[in-house]
Amino acid sequence: MQFKQFIATGLVTAAFAFASIAVFADPLVDQPAPGFTGTAADGSKFNLDTLRGKTVVLEWTNDECPFVKKHYESGNIPQLQKDAAGKGISWVQIISSAPGKQGHVDGATALKLNEERGAKPAYVVLDTDGKIGKLYGAQTTPHIFVIDAKGVLVYKGGIDNIPTAKKEDLAKATNYVRETWAALADGKKVPNPSTKPYGCSIKYQS
Amino acid sequence: MTRVLNLLRLISLVLAMCHIPLVWAASHQASTPQVQAALVSSVSKVAPGEEITLGVHLKIIPHWHMYWQNPGDSGTVTTVDWQFSQPSEVGEILWPIPHRFKMGPIVNYGYEDEVTLPVKVKVAANLKSGETFKTTAIVDWLVCKEECIPQQVTLALSMPVVVGLPTVAPASGAPSHQPQLHQALLQQPQAAPWPVSLQATKTGLSLHVAASDLTSEAIQDVWFYPYQWGKIAQSADQTKTITKAGIQLAFQLGDAPLKPTETLDGVLVVQEKQRSALVARGYQISTPLIAYASATSAASQYTTAQADASSLGFTTALLLALLGGVVLNLMPCVFPVLSIKALSLVSHEHYSQRQILAQGVVYTLGVLASFALLAGLLIALKAGGAEIGWGFQYQSPLFVIAVAYLMFAVGLSLSGVFSIGGSTAGVGSALADKPGYAGSFFTGVLATVVATPCTAPFMAAALGYALTQSSAKLMLVFLSLGLGLALPYLLLTAWPALHRKLPKPGVWMERTKQIFAFPMYLAAVWLVWVLAQQVGANGVAVALGGMVLIAFAAWLYNTTRLISLKNQIAANVGIALVLVTTLVVSYAYLGDATPEAASQSVKASPTQYWEPYTPEKLAILLAEGKPVFLNFTAAWCISCLVNERVALSQPEVTNAFQQKGITYLKGDWTNQDAHITNLLSKFGRSGVPLYVFYPAGNNAKPIELPQILTPSIVLSNIRSSH
Repeated sequence: MQFKQFIATGLVTAAFAFASIAVFADPLVDQPAPGFTGTAADGSKFNLDTLRGKTVVLEWTNDECPFVKKHYESGNIPQLQKDAAGKGISWVQIISSAPGKQGHVDGATALKLNEERGAKPAYVVLDTDGKIGKLYGAQTTPHIFVIDAKGVLVYKGGIDNIPTAKKEDLAKATNYVRETWAALADGKKVPNPSTKPYGCSIKYQS
Repeated sequence: MTRVLNLLRLISLVLAMCHIPLVWAASHQASTPQVQAALVSSVSKVAPGEEITLGVHLKIIPHWHMYWQNPGDSGTVTTVDWQFSQPSEVGEILWPIPHRFKMGPIVNYGYEDEVTLPVKVKVAANLKSGETFKTTAIVDWLVCKEECIPQQVTLALSMPVVVGLPTVAPASGAPSHQPQLHQALLQQPQAAPWPVSLQATKTGLSLHVAASDLTSEAIQDVWFYPYQWGKIAQSADQTKTITKAGIQLAFQLGDAPLKPTETLDGVLVVQEKQRSALVARGYQISTPLIAYASATSAASQYTTAQADASSLGFTTALLLALLGGVVLNLMPCVFPVLSIKALSLVSHEHYSQRQILAQGVVYTLGVLASFALLAGLLIALKAGGAEIGWGFQYQSPLFVIAVAYLMFAVGLSLSGVFSIGGSTAGVGSALADKPGYAGSFFTGVLATVVATPCTAPFMAAALGYALTQSSAKLMLVFLSLGLGLALPYLLLTAWPALHRKLPKPGVWMERTKQIFAFPMYLAAVWLVWVLAQQVGANGVAVALGGMVLIAFAAWLYNTTRLISLKNQIAANVGIALVLVTTLVVSYAYLGDATPEAASQSVKASPTQYWEPYTPEKLAILLAEGKPVFLNFTAAWCISCLVNERVALSQPEVTNAFQQKGITYLKGDWTNQDAHITNLLSKFGRSGVPLYVFYPAGNNAKPIELPQILTPSIVLSNIRSSH
């Protein structure tokens, strides 16, 4: 009987090991965030690994997307980026729009756009072939991922809980980025580690 | 927005005061470059307190789309803010069935071309004749091609109030003269008319809809649209299997998977080909996850790990079969045989790597040939209409006694009563010990023969699947199973580094070998017990007598091995005679024996807490709406017996059955029983065990329990029905 149970346990383990490989292509919350390198808007090389030891925010963006406009024109995201810099948090803006598609910009334009919008992300990464976006399973602009100092993904999802393109809704919304920062600062568990991302679809190559 | 509304209210107030014919700032139509919107009504005049249907009709330019209540991976739901000149109750949007749009890795749910979003409105009761009932709808939407544009329009409609006159449309709001609303109401999802169940599988969730009336040829597309984000992976494929039993959809888990208390809610859209047209119908689904049970114990995790048979995809079934085959190596009945073989490998260290690999390959061929033979037999029997399943060979007493003898002989050999050939280490079993390739081949055959009673539940799923498939697929699944069984040994022979790591030969080998004799004896005892169930006490006498004769033959063989050649021949003739007598007597007796005595094991005694299963009894109990717990078992099924011992016969379980008035029916499949085979196949199974709980009530869905039971699994399943 014990033997039988042992077999059953072994079987379960095997099945789960199997399953975990098959199912989860996207990064999981509470798992190490996958590393990546990319080209920054200023032409330099960006490597996520160099930011180990700091909290990192990945923000997928597309300047022409109405949802992105809501958060930039209202000053919401620029303010978050400023606050991040103040807290020693690295804010990484990632543009995954493919050439010829909405939101695709070259490095100079990306930097100019940020200047015009008063946005000050620590890094701007051009993900023209969409590899980084697909690595993270990024679906929308904006789509937010927060990685803690140990390199563990602690948050993925929407920027807040009201999925509209209306600026009026910002006042009522719970900002998940701030919520996650607060939890990290207090050494607490992130209250909503995985939420519904909302916005425009990312304009990948295919 | 509120400012606009206040303005509208002010205007309407002014207009009402001045008794000026109505001229609205907003028209009932509005356009953007992508969308033409119109406010439509089921009636042209309203009566106080009447229920009417209003709707927003949206016409979208080609290649653009708008969103459903769950927009999918991106996008936003369309919202309507309704305002009435006299306060009226308005319901939620009645969403017509959605379509899906895929762009790269992103999947959206929504509408293209055109859609009407209806709502039910209960018009204010204090309307007076001659008044005007005005509706304003502020519609917010996101319209997307690849890029998205949020838009807002304000639509308005006024209708005269009539009192005391029959209204144009009946109170149900049937919008017969309003084709767009009519169409939208036709496209509403209906309550699913079939039993629906949701199970956790090793890769996610499996939804089963027992829609046996849908014909698979006509079904063009099936998709489940969840109401909520995160419960399933929206962008992942939904693997569908359509069988006579219904539709099975496999989902991957989303980012906010179902918790044990939650239900999966959404719309199942089935697109059927009817005559020449494609007809899409939506069915509302709301189903809790079953078999989550007490999630901590290994056994119940097992439940979630175990895919239900008929939902398996073909590749999954092949992989499962392969894995099941590997696991079979650990089974108590197979492990000793293989260990002996591994030991012989050690002794053959002087073999070249090529020779060892050749042994491994031949062994693999032996296993594959046996499995091919079994599969061929199954295919032939299936074709012949026989209703059989895995383990069926154990329904033949002759087969049982033959395997019992084999086990016993292997045991004797392991114990050292006799050894064939001069090798000390290579003594496996009568057949498997043959040196060289024939030996390897027969080890493969032997491994297959002894593996069959150890039907791991895991394997059952793959086999259950295979038995419902075409012959070619069945054969492939069996071969995959065989390959799994052969794999560890094959790897050992292929990887020199591995078998060099095997320990050096020594006395320990002899001891290990002798220890392995005991599981063989136990297996023989168990088989004799099975035989007792099948043919009664006399069969046991024959079997045990046969074993004594085999023991005698073995002893005779061993003691005469070293005497003169002439005497040895005489002795061998004697041995042959003894063995032939054993087999002939066994055959003569068992060949005649009818398996009637078999159901002995399932005859009720007054103190028993269960009753023997008959189809009639089950039908009567179900017709009366009484709760029934069904257990299909067989004397040769080890896991069945274990489950009965550790779970079903425990006082907490029997008491719970008694308290809830559950009738516990036990069906015995030790021998062929077409009724049971039939019922098994209804649950996608080809073998026992099968545990099914029918909750009280005439329309209750049967709940299938996992194949490994604990009292808590049983209790939570019979409790969950309330």
